[in-house]
Amino acid sequence: MASMAGPDHLFNLRNHFYLGAYQAAINNSEIPNLSQEDIVERDCLVHRAYIALGSYQLVISEIDEAAATPLQAVKLLAMYLSSPENKESTISSLREWLADPTVGNNAIIRLIAGTIFMHEEDYNEALKHTHSGGTMDLHALNVQIFIKMHRSDFAEKQLRVMQQIDEDHTLTQLASAWLNLAVGGSKIQEAYLIFQDFSEKYPMTSLILNGKAVCCMHMGNFEEAETLLLEALNKDAKDPETLANLVVCSLHVGKSSSRYLNQLKLSHPEHVLVKRAASAEDNFERALQSFA
Amino acid sequence: MLTKFETKSNRVKGLSFHPKRPWILASLHSGVIQLWDYRMGTLIDRFDEHEGPVRGVHFHNSQPLFVSGGDDYKIKVWNYKTHRCLFTLLGHLDYIRTVQFHHENPWIVSASDDQTIRIWNWQSRTCISVLTGHNHYVMCASFHPKEDLVVSASLDQTVRVWDIGALKKKSASPADDLMRFSQMNSDLFGGVDAIVKYVLEGHDRGVNWASFHPTLPLIVSGADDRQVKLWRMNETKAWEVDTLRGHMNNVSSVMFHAKQDIIVSNSEDKSIRVWDATKRTGIQTFRREHDRFWILAVHPEINLLAAGHDNGMIVFKLERERPAFALSGDSLFYAKDRFLRYYEYSTQKDSQVIPIRRPGTPSLNQSPRTLSYSPTENAVLICSDLDGGSYELYIIPKDSVGRSDVVQDAKRGTGGSAVFIARNRFAVLEKSTSQVLVKNLKNEVVKKSSLPIPTDAIFYAGTGNLLCRSEDKVVIFDLQQRLVLGELQTPFVRYVVWSNDMESVALLSKHTIIIASKKLVLQCTLHETIRVKSGAWDDNGVFIYTTLNHIKYCLPNGDSGIIRTLDVPIYITKVSGNTIFCLDRDGKNRAITINATEYIFKLALLRKKYDHVMSMIKNSQLCGQAMIAYLQQKGFPEVALHFVEDERIRFNLALESGNISVAVASATEINEKDHWYRLGVEALRQGNSRIVEFAYQQTKNFERLSFLYLITGNLDKLSKLMKIAEVKNNVMGQFHNALYLGDVKERVKILENAGHLPLAYITASVHGLTDIAERLAIELGDNVPSLPEGKTPSLLMPPSPIMCGGDWPLLRVMKGIFEGGLESANRGAVDEEEEDVEGDWGEGLDKFDVDGMENTDIEAILDGAEAGEEEDDEEGGWGLDLDLPPELDTPKASANARSSTFVTPPQGMPVSQIWSQKSSLAAEQAAAGSFDTAMRLLHRQLGIKNFAPLKSMFLDLFSGSHSYLRAFSSSPVVPLAIERGWSESSSPNVRGPPALVFDFSQLEAKLKSGYKATTAGKLSEALRVFLSILQTIPLVVVESRREVDEVKELVIIVKEYVLGLQLELKRREMKDDPVRQQELAAYFTHCKLQTPHLRLAYFSAMTVCYKSKNMATAAHFARSLLDTNPTIESQARTARQVMQAAERNMTDATTLNYDFRNPFVICGSTYVPIYKGQKDVACPYCTARFVPSQEGNICSVCDLAVIGADASGLLCSASQVR
Repeated sequence: MASMAGPDHLFNLRNHFYLGAYQAAINNSEIPNLSQEDIVERDCLVHRAYIALGSYQLVISEIDEAAATPLQAVKLLAMYLSSPENKESTISSLREWLADPTVGNNAIIRLIAGTIFMHEEDYNEALKHTHSGGTMDLHALNVQIFIKMHRSDFAEKQLRVMQQIDEDHTLTQLASAWLNLAVGGSKIQEAYLIFQDFSEKYPMTSLILNGKAVCCMHMGNFEEAETLLLEALNKDAKDPETLANLVVCSLHVGKSSSRYLNQLKLSHPEHVLVKRAASAEDNFERALQSFA
Repeated sequence: MLTKFETKSNRVKGLSFHPKRPWILASLHSGVIQLWDYRMGTLIDRFDEHEGPVRGVHFHNSQPLFVSGGDDYKIKVWNYKTHRCLFTLLGHLDYIRTVQFHHENPWIVSASDDQTIRIWNWQSRTCISVLTGHNHYVMCASFHPKEDLVVSASLDQTVRVWDIGALKKKSASPADDLMRFSQMNSDLFGGVDAIVKYVLEGHDRGVNWASFHPTLPLIVSGADDRQVKLWRMNETKAWEVDTLRGHMNNVSSVMFHAKQDIIVSNSEDKSIRVWDATKRTGIQTFRREHDRFWILAVHPEINLLAAGHDNGMIVFKLERERPAFALSGDSLFYAKDRFLRYYEYSTQKDSQVIPIRRPGTPSLNQSPRTLSYSPTENAVLICSDLDGGSYELYIIPKDSVGRSDVVQDAKRGTGGSAVFIARNRFAVLEKSTSQVLVKNLKNEVVKKSSLPIPTDAIFYAGTGNLLCRSEDKVVIFDLQQRLVLGELQTPFVRYVVWSNDMESVALLSKHTIIIASKKLVLQCTLHETIRVKSGAWDDNGVFIYTTLNHIKYCLPNGDSGIIRTLDVPIYITKVSGNTIFCLDRDGKNRAITINATEYIFKLALLRKKYDHVMSMIKNSQLCGQAMIAYLQQKGFPEVALHFVEDERIRFNLALESGNISVAVASATEINEKDHWYRLGVEALRQGNSRIVEFAYQQTKNFERLSFLYLITGNLDKLSKLMKIAEVKNNVMGQFHNALYLGDVKERVKILENAGHLPLAYITASVHGLTDIAERLAIELGDNVPSLPEGKTPSLLMPPSPIMCGGDWPLLRVMKGIFEGGLESANRGAVDEEEEDVEGDWGEGLDKFDVDGMENTDIEAILDGAEAGEEEDDEEGGWGLDLDLPPELDTPKASANARSSTFVTPPQGMPVSQIWSQKSSLAAEQAAAGSFDTAMRLLHRQLGIKNFAPLKSMFLDLFSGSHSYLRAFSSSPVVPLAIERGWSESSSPNVRGPPALVFDFSQLEAKLKSGYKATTAGKLSEALRVFLSILQTIPLVVVESRREVDEVKELVIIVKEYVLGLQLELKRREMKDDPVRQQELAAYFTHCKLQTPHLRLAYFSAMTVCYKSKNMATAAHFARSLLDTNPTIESQARTARQVMQAAERNMTDATTLNYDFRNPFVICGSTYVPIYKGQKDVACPYCTARFVPSQEGNICSVCDLAVIGADASGLLCSASQVR
């Protein structure tokens, strides 16, 4: 149960960011009368939004040496994502930061560390920095890590912590939708309602539409999912998740998926679906050989 | 108690409600009778003719009459319309306590301190009966509302019931009535017309009041023994039922409530008490500080009571009559009696949902006040005043529209008000601390938030927002951001009505309606003199509301008007087009159709939808002075123009709107100087000189006209004007014009003719007209004036015009808006005028500049946008001193803890792994990505070895098994396993089988398209389709055994087609081998095909054989074809012809490897018949047969399995495994 203090200036900004309205987050970031902490948080959110939009170079060039520690961490993330070839050095500087007792405890640095190690699929290392939580972001990241590890039991514990802090927080709602989707069954419906609530409360984003579409797919309603995804495609024709889900959806409704797949391959060759498809092909050949 | 109206006056001793109108009579101790309108709160009239106190007063139920009786022993009958006392009935010998009209007969009953009750006929104005028997003052007497009974109460401590049946019989025949005049005396001395039926003894002191129950055989009485007694009677006797104790002093008056099962009494103890008539217990007590109560009155129709006391009277209700309701899309939930009910607008179906009160629970003032509904969760929150404010939460069962009468155990709580703020969250107000508790559907507190103002009620204001009300303002508070989104000073707000799009809100107070935006920016305020009851938004953004007696509308700019009047108050729930849906006070849903034309029209004007305005003007009956005044006032005289017939008003409006053409038409019609003059002024203002000229001409205003011609340089006309002046003998005008024209000779001539010779001389000489000057000098003789010396004169010559202008550039006139349509309506009349008035003056007017119009609009929008942005900025700017959220500290604290204790849990099992462990179906294995297992299964079950054709299907199955969820920003995407057969009741964490991209129904659809292609002759296309079906089937999963059989059947069907089509295609390749061609065509007829396809096969085989002169075989195919009863006549005819041809020559030219009499199957690879008894091998999957030599090869039909391999059979359903 959250006790209520003064007004929360960054509320809208955060919500935009969490719900994938990155440009809206950036556009509405000029908020007067912010405290010093709020300004740092605001800048972090804005730059994370830029990263989410793929503007890595902008983030790297805008954050200079003088910027606050959390911002440096955000810059690190941008560097990691922008040049996979140099990720070794990025990770090693990240480890340096983390080892530094004066800054290693900073929530943003830990969040970035969690994110990067998650990309590295080193969940152990990721959790080492994030498991203790402290911010809603960290808890939400933990939920996601546990979902990725197929440990919904642990994810649920994290979620319960979030619910105790603020059940109506956007991240709490989102995380509970993720978990609901991960455990499946009747929970899918609850996930759908959460996304539905978002779509009623906030402007539609392709994240929300994708969320709804994924729920529909899991409920076996591929036609509706397709409609939602096409709507999302209208909003953002290059959104990798929209394309990926459209591939899946098209397969199920018996339509050709090749155009979406090619589009995805061209724009996001690193996407899980593309990788999975490629590895499946290898897998097939291998299985064929073992058979011959 | 809800006080509706209160007066201050002398002691009120008698009261009577008007049965239809909102009126009440109050008779005072001072002798005055007052007539009040309690709805408007005004004194309508006063009647002051009694001397001394007036104790009894009563309205007639149908005529404009009332009766009064006072301490002057007089009974007066009044006509309130004429404000006259019609007559006075004399007879009583002491104070008169009460008077009452009979509901049917022309009778009055009166009770008096002279110990008698009298019944009077007010038509014959005589006393028709005297009821004697009481032996003390009779304090009250009244007729029974239906039966022929009178009840009376007396200080002799008894209540008496009198039977007046005989009186009634007597008056029934008019003859009797006449006779009665003679019987008068016997009546006077206690005739037998009225006899005492029962004497009710039980009170210990004098009885002040007794009255009948409106429907039941019950009597209630109140006495100086401070008790209220309830009596029951039947045909033969009457007895005391119960005593209600509680009053602390003499009970003055007591009555049954007209509608509810309650008794109301008042007393000199300064209290009014309400009793439950069934349980005979006190329910409520209302006390006044100083005023003793003397009299009560119950309204016969509606739920109103009145009580008279020492210093006036009050009109009141015992409880609210507004039904609690909540709107949700097309449906309305509302509380009625003890049930929650549901009403569907589209079907107007009304049904009971769930009971919310147990039967028989006391209901006074405990009925629901407000209702809040969450459609997704199907939950209802009901707030009532129970326990000083409480709520109940009911979840409506899904299948509920329930007959069941079991009251659910609702989740309850106390709180000022409770309202849903999100799908599964509701806010409860804690008044004492001005806090809001946010609760979930389990009634658990999720969040607490203190409110920015002391709040006494909360309302919904969009998801997550609350509208908080205090005495003098409302704010909208965002519970999540903890921000005040808007604030507005208002009178005490009672109801809040949001528009359908949640953009506007109407705040209803007792006498005020405030319309504001969703951020509480005031848009308009409306004051009503009569209480505002309810309202709803229509789809166009017009607020429709009701007062006690009207349905009215309010436009977004605050303009309001009456739509219609109401007899009884209603509560609007929804407005849909022309229909207003409302609940009445009995909780019944009603739909009222209204005429929305007026407000729709005004709205269209307001919104500048001029095309709409146009069509309304043309198509609807909009008229009346009010509308014209409105249009004029709102600056749309040009619109008003089109409603008006009267030329003078038309003229005025035309001038106001600058519509010169219409003004000219009207002016011509009117033809008055004043109007022409005003037309000229307006035309001049606009620069329309031709009209100015026309107007001046009409008024014969030559001076102005000549000046106009001067200014416009129209010298021709100016000189004409000069001639007119000459004809008219207007010397001054003539001279003026000559001056304007610069015509010196003329001037001289004028002066000369006028006798001003010296002036003429000077003019002539100055202008150098010497010959004229000389002539004049001679005429003047000695009197030649001398010209001033030493001065150089300059001549006054008007400049010559460069051009003679028509119209000047015209002013732009706001007229274009209605150009097209409106113009055309008047075009006829105007055109005529145009011809009359020569010229092209009309043209310039039409140049209305559309751009200008649009520009302003766009700017307005831009302004709006900017304003919006500014608002956003402000929003962020709230509160300068920010409390740091405590969570900032937590990371540091917890960071210490994180290092050692945490152990990362081992990874769980991916769903795909679960799938591959659980399943023995190849398709599911493929979806799980275990391709090798899938292959092994297929090999074992179906002997498949050639997997290449299955590759794309394997990959699709695998790709289609997961969806992708973008979770946390910039972190890796989460693939989620999609399961098959989801239902609402599937339990979480139990893994269902994977969702597969192929299903049986798809294959059936494909089969149909294959058939179609075959019929159309697209054989290779058909083959491709059938083959793909055949190759997909191994990866299809069905649920039931029955479906498994269908799948197996499908394999056979498709196999036959694949084989057949392969044969046919092969045949077409064999152009140069007629024998083989015939054979293949013949074999094709042995595939099991659909009849139409079989006919095609027969036909082609017949044709091929016939061409090759194999008549016997051709005849066989022709016969077979005819056996199928072909529907295509040409086929049948050809077949018959072949038969005829063959009969003449029943031989075959060549021998074929084909014997149709001997059953055979065809080898799928070599295409030779394998006759019964010959050895063969089969494909383990598609069951195609082959000659033994083919064993070990890949089946050429399905292209998958190894011919002759061992296999366990198709496994395509989990039900086969179980």
